[in-house]
Amino acid sequence: MTARSNGLATLATQPSVVCDNLARTFGTGPAAVVAVYGVSCTVAPGSRIALTGPSGSGKSTLLHLMAALEKPTSGTITWPALDEHAQGHPGRIGVVFQGPSLLPALDVAENVALPLLLADVDDREAARRAADALDLLKISELAEKLPEQLSGGQAQRVAVARVLASRPRLILADEPSGQLDHHAAHLVLDVLLQASDELDASLVVSTHDPVIAARLDTQWTMRDGRIDADLPGAPA
Amino acid sequence: MIRTWLGGLLRRRPTRLAGAAIGIAIAVALLASLGSFLAHSKATMTGRAVRAVSVDWQVQLQPGADPVATQRLVRGSAGVQAVQDVGYGTTSGLRATAGGSTQTTGPGMVLGLPNSYRATFPQEIRSLAGSAQGVLLFQQTASNLHAAPGDTIAIGRAGLPPVRVVVSGVVDLPQVDSLFQKVGAPPGTQPAAPPDNVVLLPSGQWHQIFDPLATSRPDLVSTQLHVRRDHRLPADPAAAFTTDAAVAHNLEARSSGGVLVGDNLGASLDAARGDAAYAQVLFLFLGLPGAIVAALLTATIASSGATRRRTEQALLRARGASARQLLRLAGAEAAVIGGVGAVLGLVTAAVVGRSIFGTARFGTTTGTAVGWAVAAAVIGLVIAGSSVLIPARRDLRERTVASGRATIGIGRYPWWARAGLDAALLVIAYLVYSATSRNGYQLVLAPEGVPTISVSYWAFLGPALLWIGAGLLAWRLSDLLLGRGRPVLRRLLRPLTGRLAGPVAGGISRQRRPLTRAIVLLTLALSFAASTATFNATYRAQAEADAQLTNGADVTVAISGGTTVHPQAAARLAAVPGVHGVEPVQHRFAYIGADLQDLYGVRPDHIRNVTALQDAYFQGGTAGGLMGALAAKPDSILVSAETVKDYQLHPGDLIRLRLVDARTSKPRTVAFHYVGIVSEFPTAPKDSFFVANASYLAKQTGTDTVGAFLVNTGGQQTGAVAHRIQSLLGPTAQVTDIANVRGKVGSSLTSVDLAGLTRVELSFALLLAAAAGGLVLALGLAERRRTFAIAAALGAKRRHLRSMIASEAVVLAVLGLAAGGVLGALLSRMLIKVLTGVFDPPPSAVAIPWLYLGALGAITVAAFFAAAAGATRAARRPAISVLRDL
Repeated sequence: MTARSNGLATLATQPSVVCDNLARTFGTGPAAVVAVYGVSCTVAPGSRIALTGPSGSGKSTLLHLMAALEKPTSGTITWPALDEHAQGHPGRIGVVFQGPSLLPALDVAENVALPLLLADVDDREAARRAADALDLLKISELAEKLPEQLSGGQAQRVAVARVLASRPRLILADEPSGQLDHHAAHLVLDVLLQASDELDASLVVSTHDPVIAARLDTQWTMRDGRIDADLPGAPA
Repeated sequence: MIRTWLGGLLRRRPTRLAGAAIGIAIAVALLASLGSFLAHSKATMTGRAVRAVSVDWQVQLQPGADPVATQRLVRGSAGVQAVQDVGYGTTSGLRATAGGSTQTTGPGMVLGLPNSYRATFPQEIRSLAGSAQGVLLFQQTASNLHAAPGDTIAIGRAGLPPVRVVVSGVVDLPQVDSLFQKVGAPPGTQPAAPPDNVVLLPSGQWHQIFDPLATSRPDLVSTQLHVRRDHRLPADPAAAFTTDAAVAHNLEARSSGGVLVGDNLGASLDAARGDAAYAQVLFLFLGLPGAIVAALLTATIASSGATRRRTEQALLRARGASARQLLRLAGAEAAVIGGVGAVLGLVTAAVVGRSIFGTARFGTTTGTAVGWAVAAAVIGLVIAGSSVLIPARRDLRERTVASGRATIGIGRYPWWARAGLDAALLVIAYLVYSATSRNGYQLVLAPEGVPTISVSYWAFLGPALLWIGAGLLAWRLSDLLLGRGRPVLRRLLRPLTGRLAGPVAGGISRQRRPLTRAIVLLTLALSFAASTATFNATYRAQAEADAQLTNGADVTVAISGGTTVHPQAAARLAAVPGVHGVEPVQHRFAYIGADLQDLYGVRPDHIRNVTALQDAYFQGGTAGGLMGALAAKPDSILVSAETVKDYQLHPGDLIRLRLVDARTSKPRTVAFHYVGIVSEFPTAPKDSFFVANASYLAKQTGTDTVGAFLVNTGGQQTGAVAHRIQSLLGPTAQVTDIANVRGKVGSSLTSVDLAGLTRVELSFALLLAAAAGGLVLALGLAERRRTFAIAAALGAKRRHLRSMIASEAVVLAVLGLAAGGVLGALLSRMLIKVLTGVFDPPPSAVAIPWLYLGALGAITVAAFFAAAAGATRAARRPAISVLRDL
């Protein structure tokens, strides 16, 4: 499966995300918490980046800003590789959330198809693409199961399938293996990498696990809301 | 740990806790308010029964009894405040000469009253004309004699010369039935008709006239002691009756047969205690379901957080919390909900009691007040315990940590559904209903004079089982429809949800159990509200019909016997301001065989313009149809069912009645044809009578003399119009208005004060329906905030979220309203049929309170709308911040 089409050919050479002096503060006054501050970075097309750092360093917030799920307090963020209308539309950006993110009342196939239906894709086409995604990740047998019947690893693989079915240009995964054992965590990363390959999409994964981080091309380490510029792999 | 847990609950789940507390508060408030209603209505009934009596006791002295000693004995009885001796003398006839003609009457009664009598018993005599003292003529007697104040009449005495007296005034005797009762008649005896001819004399004058007669004919003269008693009686009519009857019996026993007590107060209280029993039944029929719905509401609200509680419980168990600790936490939560709900409920009940019943007390005595309050509060705590603690305990016993994390599991079909309990309950309900609604079935049995009364609570079982069985059936059908009917649901929801129809229908289907519970709750709440309102509307309509039947119309002018008035006089009445229409009704007497019956001549085309004729008054046709038959064939006649049975009549049969011909003053035979049965008719007595065409009657008897004029005022200003007509016609005309009659109708219908109960019931029913719809939906949606946040994070726009939320609201509203409407209609009919004893006459049709039902539907829909709008607004919050908070 490939996401590239003739219409997007020119966009494919442009960066997926460009952050310029990005900041995000929660709350106001003395209780304000600065989650992200002065972050400038570029996610190149097809790049695979591990976002590491201690808890509270701002990894999740930065991912949410990249996913357009949060708005920056200051600075700018753009998605040059995505077409203009898709900017800020999560449909073109695939997000794998930390913890359970499947809708409990929908079965696996419906969960995978849901973002497509929300993007107004025809029912049958959505069902077909959901089945393809599950098939590609070799989890078709889970199609009729409910989320509560899945293990944590299975649930995260289904979440990746959901991203895959939407064919995004940018995949963002927030601690996708945080609550999983070692084996399950690597299985999830395998499918993320597979999805990224299939779609030729950029991949940003936040993780605590250095072994997981080591499997990605680039590592950005965050500390106190900023990307540590002194470490190797830091954005220019 | 408990404090930390409760603190967390109050901070993080205030809505769910408040919702559950509100549910309990509604149940407690409803029960406590019903306690107020029962206490208030019983006290009202006792008060009304006491006020309805003028002379509490009429103590009849037996021949040979010493009057002085007896009076001393009576004065010494408990609670006796005043005693007056009244002489009863029988006159052989009265005679008066006025305007050149002499009028004579048959035998009558002459009473001798002490000077202070009217002050002691102010309701006994009502002045109509002339002086309030001296020789007073009863209105009917004055009319018969054509006598007025200043005229002289002669009082005949058997075997003695008549005595001439000058009339000082004309009076009405509102309590004439009891005044001339046969004291000591066995219970259940048909009361004797009071005399038409009555003269009231000052005591001294009476003795001068009747002492000689007492010597020659002691059987024609007697003495009664009229007694006023202390009216501080127990508030409960049954207790008041027992107290009064005991003192009366004690007096009879102490007099060693010297006196018989005519216990007017006891008779009035006797009727009231039957009404009190009806009030108790109404409490059961109309009150308990409300409390049950409130309890179910609380359980549903508490269970809307059950998934989360199970998850938290599983988490705590995984962290090492013992079952005992978890139960303590659940117990603390139940105690907080129950305690807050109980206090809130009692305060609400006090406010409701004060505003509606004028008292914040929950009972007539301190004991019953405390009892009701404590019982209501305890029930609130029990509801809280069974809604929170019992499910928590069951989860601890039956669920594993892993299953506790599950949020969707449909679970097995409940045991009652597998056993077919719903169908069984409906069958039993039908059987009980058939047995208890048969003719002759008495809901309340209060034999006259017997101290015990019996209430058939079995009758309660029919509607109760229908309610429960239909609620369970609604569960089964909703579960079936939402489960197996998913393809249908998807198609139905497509206009609302577009491409999301599949996932939305799937989600609703898999989460159908909470939704089904909410549908059942709404069904029960709506059916409770609808049936209560319909019963009440029918009750009010019948109360009005009863009053109109008794009075005849808004205002009725009865023409005294011996006076000839022609229909043309209606024009004078029609000119009175406020009169919309006047209809003359002839009143004759007719012999059928040896039976003498009343005969009413009406203008069949016009009679319905001034008074309501219900179909229930007739058999063999509708009111309109039978009036049409009288109009089409003037010799048609309507007869009573008893006459039809006695004379084996069939429609079309010829009936020959003997009527007095005005031209010859002799009886003549008039032929009629029987066309239908009449059981009730305005102004007609309860026993047998005829209704015929007035023009035919006039032609056959040679006179169109009117017996009464029925006046239609459009239901407005009946008292004022009656007063104007009375002024126009003078004191001898008997003018009565429906407003006056409403307060006097002696049936249990109007004496049970339903107005207060209705206001409480209907207000609570609205509250319950709104809560069952809106609150339950809101809490259910609130529990799925995470779902909506994830959907939003995946790209759901506002319209998507709105359609997802609206789908659930629409499914709940449509199924709940439909099931509630059907059950409400069935329950209303069953209630009215079972409680037929409350209605007099039985209703011909159920009165549907469209305004209330419309308001009920509108409030329920508004509650849904508010809940859905609130959830939609909440779903607008940035998805990530919602997910972070949850």
